[in-house]
This record gives sequence, C-alpha cells and structure tokens, in this order.
Amino acid sequence: MYSKDELLLAISTVIDPEVGFNLVEMGLIYDAACNDEGDAHIIMTLSTKACPMHQLIQQWVKEAVQKMANIKSVEIELVWEPVWNITMAQEHVKKALSGN
Amino acid sequence: MFSVSRDFAPPFKLISPFFILGSFFYLASVLYIFFIPAENITMLDTKIFGFVHLFLLGFVMMTIFGAMAQLVPVVLEVGHFGVELFYAIWPLLAIGTLMMTVGFVSYPMLLPFGGVVVLISIMIFILEIFLTIKKVKTLNLAMKSMLLSNTFLFFGVIFGFLMSLGYSGLIEVDINTLLRSHVFLVVVGYVVVTIMGLSVVLLPMFGLSHGFSQKPLQNALIMMGVSILLVLLSSFFKITFFEYAGYILAVAGLFMYFYFVQTIYKTRARKEIDIYAKSLIFSYFSLVASLLMGIGYMVLGFEPLLLSSGWMMFFGFFAFAVTGHVYKIIPFLVWFERFSPLVGKQKVPMLADMLPQKSSSAQFVFCAIGVVVVAVAILLQNDALIKGGASFLLMGSIAFVRSVFYMINYK
Repeated sequence: MYSKDELLLAISTVIDPEVGFNLVEMGLIYDAACNDEGDAHIIMTLSTKACPMHQLIQQWVKEAVQKMANIKSVEIELVWEPVWNITMAQEHVKKALSGN
Repeated sequence: MFSVSRDFAPPFKLISPFFILGSFFYLASVLYIFFIPAENITMLDTKIFGFVHLFLLGFVMMTIFGAMAQLVPVVLEVGHFGVELFYAIWPLLAIGTLMMTVGFVSYPMLLPFGGVVVLISIMIFILEIFLTIKKVKTLNLAMKSMLLSNTFLFFGVIFGFLMSLGYSGLIEVDINTLLRSHVFLVVVGYVVVTIMGLSVVLLPMFGLSHGFSQKPLQNALIMMGVSILLVLLSSFFKITFFEYAGYILAVAGLFMYFYFVQTIYKTRARKEIDIYAKSLIFSYFSLVASLLMGIGYMVLGFEPLLLSSGWMMFFGFFAFAVTGHVYKIIPFLVWFERFSPLVGKQKVPMLADMLPQKSSSAQFVFCAIGVVVVAVAILLQNDALIKGGASFLLMGSIAFVRSVFYMINYK
C-alpha cells in the first residue's frame, strides 16, 4: 500500500527533542514496510538503551504512521542490533553534530 | 500495543523540590564561606564540619537524590519500587541538614537530632534503591556501581550518626576512627562512585559516544572499592600501611576513571560544547587538580594542600558535575510534563531552547573563577583572597538559582 520512502516521509515528522533532528535523518529507522491490507511494520532503534524517552518516541512513530490514510495497524519492532552509531546518520546531521 | 508509562519520568512535582532546595543550599554554602576566617581553616574545625555538611547534604546529596528519582529507572531499566517515597526524603533531608549545620556551629546537642532526621531520610532513599535494584534480573556495570555506592552510603551514614551521638556527648566513641571511615564511605564510596557509575550511561547518552571500552571504568571501580575497604580496615585496626595503600589506590582509580572519561569524550559524535559539556570539562579538570594536590600533600605534608585538594574535589568536581547534569535533567522533566503531550499537535520547544543562556553562562564563569581563586587563597592562607573568590561564587550561585527557576517555570 505504501512504499518504504512514503513511510519514512511520515516518520520524518518525529523529532528527537534532545538533538533536534528527526529519526529518519538520525538513521534510527532501520526498515519500514506496509502490506496491501494497511498493516505497517517499522523496525527501529534508539541512540542508547538508556534513552528515557524510548516509550514516547515509539508512540510518536506509531502515531505518525497511523495518520496516513487507510493504515489499519502499526507494529513497532525496537531492535538493538546493529547498534546505532553516528555513521548511520545522514551527512548533514553528522556535520551539524560535529560542528562543521 | 503499548502505553506511555511514567516509569522513566516521575512527576516533576515530586522531583522539583530537590532541585530548588539543592540550589538554595548551594547558595547558602557559598554565603557560609564569608563567615570562615582563614586562620580557622583546619581539617577538624567544627565550622568546617558545618560547612561540609551544608554543602554535601544540602546541595550535593539533595540534588543527587532528586536526580536519582529520574535516573534510577534510566540506569536500571526498570520502574521504581516506590517512587512516592521520594516525597518523604527531601523535607527530612532539608530539616536534618539545617539542624546538623546549626549543631556544628553552635548547639552540639542538636547534632544527634539532626543526625536521626538525616539518617531516616537517607535510609528511605537506600531502601527504595535496593528494592528497585532487586527487580533487575541481570546487573550491568552501572547497576553494580549503584549497588556498591549505596552499600557504602548505608555504612557511612550509620558511622556518621554514631559520631553525632559522640559529639553531643551522649555516647563515648573514638571520633577519629569513625571520622576517616565516615568521610571515605560517604564522599568517596557514595558521591564519587555514584558519579563514576552514572558516567557510563549519561556521558555517552548526551555525547552520542559509541565504541569505547568499559574496562577502564570497571578497573577504576574495583580500585575504589578496594581502597575504601583498606581505609576502613586501617581505621579500625590501626594499620598505617593499609591507610596509605588505600589512598594511593583511590588516587590511581580516579586517574583511571579520568582516562575512561577521556575515551568517551574522544569517541563522541556530538562536538558541541554547551553548558553541560563545559561544566563537565571543568569538573574533570578540577578532579585532576584535586588529585595532584592530594599527592602533593602526601609527599610534602603541607596541610593547605590537603584543604585545597578537598576544596577542588567538592566545589570543583562535585559541584560542576552536579550543576552540569541539572541543566540536562530539569529541561527534560519539564519538557516531558508540559510539552510531550503536545507533540504532533503544535510546535514544541527543543530541550536546548529551555536553557537560560545568560544565567547558565554567568553561573559557569563566576563559579569557575571563584573555585580557582579560593583554591589559590587556601594555599596562600589569604583571608581577603578567600572572600574575593567567595564573591565570585556568590554571583555564580545566584545565577544558578535563577537558572533553576527559569527552567522549572519554562512555558
């Protein structure tokens, strides 16, 4: 029903308030898929296991996808492998964080 | 389906009194400096004891306990056993601290009463932490350090209480034996080990550091634990070798910890030097300065070196580590309480927007200058210079109180 890029576009509205970038440009969304019935499946991680906002962030991702038309269900799979690191972020994020 | 629980962010009204009182106690500690003449500065002066308790219990412990209400679930990855218990901790700790300070300054009979109140407050805290740790299935390094530091605090507070009974004349105890154990258990065993243990979670989280080894921290924690045991044994069995071996091991452990922090700093993705990073950098360099002066004292036996080392440890390392984290924790809690429900509905501020740029910078600059000036003044035993440094600290601590209120009232 929706391509990975369309799902990522919806999720890119979710911003990490600590760093000020969205989850997609941070490289925290590992995969996103949606079948013809409108069941979306998002595989994502967080920058640290200790993130105190981990429940909130997952809920925001879910709500962002649910806003898309004809989505019936959203399943979030939070994974810790591969471990996130800054090389997974987009170039402009890396530059901004490193102060260049 | 999952719901957002408050496990990882307790209600702000529960935690805010810790930070508000902590900031006022910081200010009060600075004001206290104006009433300590330079010629009175010796390690065993009761005015110094009053000052140390006002600063450590009122500011450092109060703020750490409040931060723990937020950080324990983050570090332990489970919800609190009974977070409501924190409602009882801050009033008792505040009252007990004031009673003990007055007791040290002029009414020794107040000491055991203040001591009991502080003891109850800290025991509630320790009980809550232990019962929360019990919920954890596998302990990682940060969790083990929390268990270790709170065990040290448990014994340190009991020794402190026995001393308060001794000072007031209610029982006969060997104050000198207990004093060394009390200081080492609470200051090194609790405050230092807590800061060390939390570093492995907080520094990489805020700096986005990855790929560093935890081995140096593990070794540093083992060294600190053994050093505390050696100092305890030396106190009770009068074995001088153990005492010096304990001191040397503690210094070596702290240098090892500094090396660990440096590896996190080097591997961080986030290079921005904000008020948090600035505070921690100053804090860690104060730690090194404190250690070097401590070594100097062991070699030369010149007491002002020991006093200045203690000063840098307390007002440099502890104070800046605490204030730096306050600039991260308060905005998060306020944001979580006020703005997280509005995400997706309206524009919400970033956490960095909630920082008071001017007052936080003023706090950092004035306090940093004040800390260095007083450290030099103690070495020179110059009363005017101590008051001069304290004036800078006064400006800085007022700015800190202002920063705390700014963040709490951010709308």
